[in-house]
Amino acid sequence: MKLSEFIRPSSLAEARKTLRALGPKGMVLAGGTALHFMPGKTPVTAVDITGLGLSYIKQKGDYFSIGAATPLSDIQRYRGPRWAMHEICRRISTHQIRNVSTIGGNICRVFPWADLPVVLLAMDARMVVYSGKDKEIPADEYFSSQPARLFRDGDLLTAVKIPVLKAHHGFGSVKATRNATAFSLVTIAALLELKGGVIKSARVAAGSGIPFPQRLKPVEAALAGKEAVTAVFKEAAAAAGAAARWVGGEGMSADYIRQLAEVSILDALERAAEFARGRAE
Amino acid sequence: MNRHEKAKNFKQVNHSVIKIDALQLALGKDSYVADFVPRDALTIKMLWSPHPHARIKSMDVSKAEKMPGVKAVLWYGNVPRIAHCTAGQGFPEPSPYDTFMFDKKVRFVGDRVAAVAAETEEQALAALEVIKVEYELLKPVFSLDEAMAKGAPVIHDESEAHVPIPIPYEPKKNLVAHVACEAGSFEKGLKEADFTFDQTFETPYAQHCPIEPYTSMAQIASSGRIVITTSTQVPFHCRRIVAKTLDVPVQKIRVIKPRIGGGFGCKQEVLLDDVTAMFALRTGRACLWQFNREETFRTGRTRHPFRIRLQTGVKKDGTITAINMDCINNTGAYGGHGLTVVSCAGSKVLPLYHCENIKFDGKSYYTNLPVGGAYRGFGATQAFFAMESLMDQMAEAIGMDPMKFRQINHIREGEGSPIFAALGEGREGTPMTVGSNALAECIVQGAEAIGWKKRQDWRGKTGRYRRGIGMACLMQGSSIPDIDMGAASIKINEDGSFNLLVGATDLGTGSDTVLAQIAAEELETTTDKMIVYSSDTDLTPFDVGAYASSTTYLSGEAVRKAAADAKRQILATGAEMLGVLVEEVHCEDATVQNKDGSKKVSYSDIANYALYQKNQYQIIGTASHITKKSPPPFAAHFAEIEVDTWTGFIRVLNYVSTIDCGTAVNPTLAEGQTEGGTLNGISYALTEEYLFQNGRMMNASFADYHIYSMRDRPPLQTILVPSYEETGPFGAKSVSEICINGPAPVFGNAIYNATGARLNEFPFTPEKVLKAIQAVEKK
Amino acid sequence: MTKGTHTVSFTLNGEKQTFDTRPDEKLLTLLRREGYRGTKYGCGQGTCGACTVLLDGRATYACLLYAMQAEGRSVRTIESVGTFDNPGEFQKELVAAGAVQCGYCIPGMVMSATALMETEKDFEDEIVKEYMDGNLCRCTGYEKIWVALRKVLDRQAAEGNKPAAKKTSSKGAKNEQA
Repeated sequence: MKLSEFIRPSSLAEARKTLRALGPKGMVLAGGTALHFMPGKTPVTAVDITGLGLSYIKQKGDYFSIGAATPLSDIQRYRGPRWAMHEICRRISTHQIRNVSTIGGNICRVFPWADLPVVLLAMDARMVVYSGKDKEIPADEYFSSQPARLFRDGDLLTAVKIPVLKAHHGFGSVKATRNATAFSLVTIAALLELKGGVIKSARVAAGSGIPFPQRLKPVEAALAGKEAVTAVFKEAAAAAGAAARWVGGEGMSADYIRQLAEVSILDALERAAEFARGRAE
Repeated sequence: MNRHEKAKNFKQVNHSVIKIDALQLALGKDSYVADFVPRDALTIKMLWSPHPHARIKSMDVSKAEKMPGVKAVLWYGNVPRIAHCTAGQGFPEPSPYDTFMFDKKVRFVGDRVAAVAAETEEQALAALEVIKVEYELLKPVFSLDEAMAKGAPVIHDESEAHVPIPIPYEPKKNLVAHVACEAGSFEKGLKEADFTFDQTFETPYAQHCPIEPYTSMAQIASSGRIVITTSTQVPFHCRRIVAKTLDVPVQKIRVIKPRIGGGFGCKQEVLLDDVTAMFALRTGRACLWQFNREETFRTGRTRHPFRIRLQTGVKKDGTITAINMDCINNTGAYGGHGLTVVSCAGSKVLPLYHCENIKFDGKSYYTNLPVGGAYRGFGATQAFFAMESLMDQMAEAIGMDPMKFRQINHIREGEGSPIFAALGEGREGTPMTVGSNALAECIVQGAEAIGWKKRQDWRGKTGRYRRGIGMACLMQGSSIPDIDMGAASIKINEDGSFNLLVGATDLGTGSDTVLAQIAAEELETTTDKMIVYSSDTDLTPFDVGAYASSTTYLSGEAVRKAAADAKRQILATGAEMLGVLVEEVHCEDATVQNKDGSKKVSYSDIANYALYQKNQYQIIGTASHITKKSPPPFAAHFAEIEVDTWTGFIRVLNYVSTIDCGTAVNPTLAEGQTEGGTLNGISYALTEEYLFQNGRMMNASFADYHIYSMRDRPPLQTILVPSYEETGPFGAKSVSEICINGPAPVFGNAIYNATGARLNEFPFTPEKVLKAIQAVEKK
Repeated sequence: MTKGTHTVSFTLNGEKQTFDTRPDEKLLTLLRREGYRGTKYGCGQGTCGACTVLLDGRATYACLLYAMQAEGRSVRTIESVGTFDNPGEFQKELVAAGAVQCGYCIPGMVMSATALMETEKDFEDEIVKEYMDGNLCRCTGYEKIWVALRKVLDRQAAEGNKPAAKKTSSKGAKNEQA
């Protein structure tokens, strides 16, 4: 991606106005690391939004609110009641990337390897989009297709709201990679609500290894109302094959990725269950 | 650290002297080629072939030449057509002359098409865009089978392709090299065996991944000569080959190697310098060419993939009765190093174990794929995977512990092997008996460190996570006897310091420091008195360069001899100053003194006397050295791994590298070489691979080609086991290549020990491992 | 560079400076052009770490940052760490440990380690590895780099951390809890 101009708006409204005027010739710039993956010979104008106070992590009642321009390393470092975002953030790319890459940058234009959409889907997060005023979009709707569609008119993502996990709720994620900092072969995130050892509700999402992050509804269905034990998790994981279109990666076959996903689902569910039972932090 | 008896009194050698350039590099001072580029240097960019095999029907560079900032364009139409080889080897090279600066044919995705030199990178890239090329696509060859097939497309059909020495070369069959030998009779030996084995192994592509990409800069000096400052392992070969390809006399060229950011063999190649020099000549300007990371992966040299068919026979008592190694390497689109790498697969592996009947056949073939070059290990790495995998299987067949099986069979001190004489590099080898050999001790210490005693058979193992322990024994060589030469000169200064001038090439290995230690030891002074200047074809004596693990053993001995020469002069002048006979004095602690020390004169005094005062002359020692043998370093590697039998993922729990390199001239640096080479071998075995689509390497970045970071590294333990090599400087042998040979066979054996799954190819991707485990479980 | 069309001002190694640049220019190119050549080019893709510099105290890849992203911020390069007469602590230990082989990765390693030492109080292995995971080395196997780093960190922890060490920089997230 080539840049021909660099603008630094001083307010959200000004940023939106500038982006609307630039149209396809404008590009939101937070960390800028994603630009490296975007081809394009026609130069664009970078609209730098890092000066708009969008870098924060706050807890307000039932929600954590993370500013869209918050670097991943801040999310990795943050600790709050039943906070679980650090688990995936510490696995994304390298230290230098995490210092610059933002949560907004990871979810406004979703690449197939993106991990955060998977986590946010499982957590039932809500994305705050500014279009003159704020609108909250639940994750299922936000990630129903390429979120870039929401930002064509200069609208901006300003925050991500993540529910504070209640008691008996647990979160677990697994990211399978060849090396510690490599792109994911498959990423699984699971949120379980337990009551008396039984799964009251489940949200299970997958990314990488499939063309686009999504929830695995057949897996969720196989968990609902059942005991939170390994045998149940295994059977539910076996429903993953039919739940999504698994794709090969890194020279490995689609069939292998599916097998890997099934094991990863099992592992993520075990972690989520342990979290829900209160044994993990 | 254990010292060998004979090394106990060394004062400089066998001590971990601080690396001479360490602080300069840690401070980020100007050290590498790109740090010395003049502000007005032109930037060179190359148009690379998008096709694996094609003829260039026509090319029009006229528009490019007129683009803003463009100072010159090079293509086949305006450069000399001179067949040569890019491999950095001694002349005449044991490699085909099958390369032209620019050709009318492209032979792999990443081959040269045309190049531009412009004021800025942007302008150079813009000019590349407007070069018009019309290709006639040809059927490509992507595998050994395709290359060897009857009627296969001929990759090198040009009339000029030839070999400069009488070795087999049949480009019409895509055959680059063929070398074969037999000692005893394999067929007879096989009949004597109680168990026979016949397995085929495949080893993959890999790239060296030096953190500094290929970088070369050329300038025209005020004298009109061409000065090339380049990230190279072979400055003298570079000078000769550039002179040839530019069709100018060697005298016109000076090659300087500053600090370089790693090589590992990929820079034992003249891959950029001919073009850089030609642009400097054409434009009169300084010209810089630096590969980006993608180019380094695609166009840079690689490790030769091998197919190795290994047949062996073993008797119940553990005698190996027969070995037949039939190996073929894929040398890619150009043939440099093809012969020598396939020869080393045999010469560096087959002598390791006693066997009366050894047969070897090695071939090298062209394909339309990235080009194999020199890579640390050089064929031995690939062949040890086969050999050490079969060693374990032979042991199991006869019910013997695989460690014991190796212990009873490996070569001992004083023994030879028919392979040493039979397999050279392009010519006959050199017969040799092994001098120093501490392999037995390496095995014992390594086994202790890994906890070999706790190793259990896979058949009792259950559960998702299973652990296994594996081992391998290794050897390599030290220099290429009778072929390679290194030289040094050393002169004294007023303060008792010395200028040590060596052609030998420090890649970051620390050879400048090691050579300084050797000189200081010989001269009875301290390493910090050495000012080392290396690898400048105008100022330093000749050296073949850094490869074949020769710097310590070969260049080191040249340095020692040069220092001894200077020492003779120092003694003579010291004696003259003291008014005694030279027989009455010796050197000690940077002085010349008589037996009881009552008469003493310092090196500084001697230098002042000789430079200024009486019978003035420059005390300077010069020497050259050729080796007469290639004494193998020995190593035993061990690892414990944990296999996730549900996903095929492998976790390395512990890795032990033992090494016998004779006297470790600098133990810390020797450890560093071992640690680095071992980790490289580990990722080579587990995570590195070239993924292709129609001959195009698709994962040309560190994001997609996986080498380890600090977060991945498993616990590594390095144990230096001293021996003393009488033919090496102060007992030294080589250290840098052997360590990379261990991990692939060690893990192959460990995976088997954990799961019963035997894999004959790597990298051991999770899918391959899982498939193999599932196949075992089905039985 | 053909003449710059824009300018960018930032504090470089403690000194406020203004440079000619273009929107397209990466920070790495600007730094090397202006004489700060200790920061190296290794991949240009934000994967190897040879170009690591500190931006407001955080380790970043200069090859990915546009120079203009540094506007009004503070940049630190290897040139700000140590001299021949007075090397930085980590540099001293690297040299002593034999951890510098080709040296190409070392300035980047030093910058990442500097960020670690100036940001964290807790130098648990896992945290150290996370800070260093973006700096590739092909020569050393990381062994002696790790030994040198552990030595410096253990010493710093024992001596008590400097009061200036903060959890995050001023441009980072403000951690507020209800």
